[in-house]
Amino acid sequence: MESSFPTSTPEHAAGSVADPTESERLHRNLTPAIAEIENGRAFFRYIVAAVTAFAVALCAVFMFNAIVDPLSLIGWRIVPPAVEPDRSTKLNLIAKLKTNPQVVVLGSSRSRQAEPKFIDKLTGLKTGFNAGVTGGDASDAWVMVRNIAAQFPHAKRAYIWFVDYKIASAGINPQLAEDPHSRPYLGNHSASFSLADVGTYLGFQATQASYRVLKACIEGHCHGNLLYRRDGSLKGAALKFLPENAPSLKKAVAEKLAAVKHLARRLPPFTNAHLAYFEKALTYMNRHGATPVIVLNPVYPSIYQLLQRRHSLREAEALAELHKLQKRYRFVVVDGSDIRVWGGKARDFNNATHINRRNMRRLLRYVVAHSDGALSPRSVR
Amino acid sequence: MLFNSYVFLFGFLPPVLVGCWALRNKNLRLLFLTLASWAFYAWWDWRFLPLMLSTTTVDYIAALMIHRTDVARRRNAWLIGSLAINLGLLGYFKYASFFLNSLNGIGKAIGAPVGLPDLHILLPIGISFYTFNSMSYTIDVWRKRVEPTKHILEYSTFVALFPHLIAGPIVRFVDLRPQLRAPRPKLTADAAGVGAYFFTCGLVKKLLLADQLSPHVDALFASSKHLGLVGSWAAAIGYALQLYFDFSGYSDMAVGLAWLIGFRFPQNFNSPYKAVNVSDFWRRWHMSLSAWFRDYLFIPLGGSRRGAKRTVVNLVVTMFLAGLWHGAAWTFVVWGLVHGLALGVHGVLKSLGWTPKSVIVNRVVTFLYVVAAFVIFRAPNLHVAGTILWRMLGTAGVESWSTLQGFLPGRFVILLLALLAFVQLAPNTWELKLKPRLVYGLATGVAAAVAVMSIAVPHPFIYFQF
Repeated sequence: MESSFPTSTPEHAAGSVADPTESERLHRNLTPAIAEIENGRAFFRYIVAAVTAFAVALCAVFMFNAIVDPLSLIGWRIVPPAVEPDRSTKLNLIAKLKTNPQVVVLGSSRSRQAEPKFIDKLTGLKTGFNAGVTGGDASDAWVMVRNIAAQFPHAKRAYIWFVDYKIASAGINPQLAEDPHSRPYLGNHSASFSLADVGTYLGFQATQASYRVLKACIEGHCHGNLLYRRDGSLKGAALKFLPENAPSLKKAVAEKLAAVKHLARRLPPFTNAHLAYFEKALTYMNRHGATPVIVLNPVYPSIYQLLQRRHSLREAEALAELHKLQKRYRFVVVDGSDIRVWGGKARDFNNATHINRRNMRRLLRYVVAHSDGALSPRSVR
Repeated sequence: MLFNSYVFLFGFLPPVLVGCWALRNKNLRLLFLTLASWAFYAWWDWRFLPLMLSTTTVDYIAALMIHRTDVARRRNAWLIGSLAINLGLLGYFKYASFFLNSLNGIGKAIGAPVGLPDLHILLPIGISFYTFNSMSYTIDVWRKRVEPTKHILEYSTFVALFPHLIAGPIVRFVDLRPQLRAPRPKLTADAAGVGAYFFTCGLVKKLLLADQLSPHVDALFASSKHLGLVGSWAAAIGYALQLYFDFSGYSDMAVGLAWLIGFRFPQNFNSPYKAVNVSDFWRRWHMSLSAWFRDYLFIPLGGSRRGAKRTVVNLVVTMFLAGLWHGAAWTFVVWGLVHGLALGVHGVLKSLGWTPKSVIVNRVVTFLYVVAAFVIFRAPNLHVAGTILWRMLGTAGVESWSTLQGFLPGRFVILLLALLAFVQLAPNTWELKLKPRLVYGLATGVAAAVAVMSIAVPHPFIYFQF
């Protein structure tokens, strides 16, 4: 029978053969077609053109991104950064606080709608501060908590901390790392423009962000519209400019549903590295007498149903991890994922993930009622 | 260190190129390349560097000892010693956990739990590749096909040379010896041009094609239970294309880097999806590996010289081991067996004259078979592989339009169709007779820059895990 394995060429047959000749090596595909041209001068032009084009293109991209500085990595601020600069805004507001905020709201943009004044009304606490920031993570919460504590070292505070199923990540937002208020609390992560940032500004994502920023400036809305009150809450006029406001809630939900279908059934494993800042913050709060209330962010009803059907483990895993942490730290868990539990309305979402102020007030009522006294005036005495 | 990372492109490669060509003395250059390659390897995990050094030392000494004597018994003993150490290390680091877990599984299945511990052994990157490189050398010396080198730097450079160290191509000493013995005195413009061309082609294949397919393919495989006919085929074809562009991209980069430091590596891919039968596919896919298995396993087993039945057995055994070489998992074993059987069946049909005459029919059938087999290769386990293959037969029907929109975003579908046409119709990087014109130079530079712009989060090459 004829061999159907890749057929053997004569030099591969067993036996005693010397080193392969030039023709044999060519036969073994050592020389590509392009190399047969042997035109040294033309290749010199070719390589000079290639290297020049490569260098010029990358330099141009880097210069463009460095000048626009969309991620605020260099700090020119010639044009506003593409990312919401609310970290610096909130840290500046904290620096200007005159009285200790008795309740502090932490979390991502999903927590932005929480009004400290409304919480005060519900709890009887006197003052508050919303320290939630866009894409807020545990490292942001840690820095905010420490900044407030540095301002009022002997006062006690209550905390409401909104998290999603992943609870926390190990990431530090470059803007946070860049801010002088953060540096004392981020160890070696204090920022100065680094080689890694050169890579960031050579990338597509930064270039797209630069383009968006420039386009917005050319179209005449170069300056941000998100304005904050002294207590860190959004001014009413800012509500219509929120980036999460979807033109069509239905479409936004449909897109999110499609994305959720591709989610892994389980959460990525919780590691010490991921939870480092989360645990640091809990340790600090507990040591200063506070019992924070950790709230799992609400999920749009149809998305929640899909998650329950296909990915119910994600919610269970998040709760299990929180309960595990409760053995080491003192905090209250309130699961706000299912909006039916706290009387939320599907129409009161800004998009598939962000609730509006009406739903936030409903959620806060539920949170306060289930906070086991962690938000009572007695807790801050 | 990944080829597609900033640290390699801007931190490692430029000083290595400068150092390599600044050192005219052969020994200094080989020493420099060896040290640079070890640094390249140690960047990933320095603890495994001694492992590679021990493989290098053992085979260097074994080859010299084999060559020194004509007494068959002594020659065999040195060869067996070398193979035992190489395969022992490979077996321990790559397969020990797999076999223990399999024994535990079998014990549990038959109601007699064995309770063997899980060793949690970390797989040293590139071990399969450099072990095979090194083994081919001692076997070739034993066969008297090549004289061993007494020059330790020639040998250490051959084993460690960074372009092929992590994921091939599997280079033979017989190919590199003339290049190691008489290194090129200077980097010529044509060598630099060819190197830049290959490296850029590889970067583009990996970063702009394979990495763009990857998230969609991953999502499809993760949703295997919800796929219908279209989704399952999209997953299978998407992965086949991703794997090809990922691995052939890596091979192109390796070839390009080799040209830039004065070496020539063999071709590793020759438009495999244009193959007209499974045998042809293996002549075109991962050519350096299939040639290795052919020369060092299939032919010594008797090849096709001992009748039809024995040929089929040899093919199945060879492909079983080729499958196992890819990874310590049953999916790889089954993938190898599936290909072994296909090679055997093809051989029988061909000898009976029963193979179709139409090139188009042959190409389509081969492509579909290879794509289906890659489902087994990619799937996390045989159950998922079975689910997707079953659905590829249409057993779960066709998805609704809205489901398809969720599974198959427009960008993915366009990319899939374009790449499908590309692999079937376009020439490969080795066939292109690119003229070294100014405009092509500019295009190469811009293409490389665009590829580099997408590096932000480097994805490792699929074959690194093997």
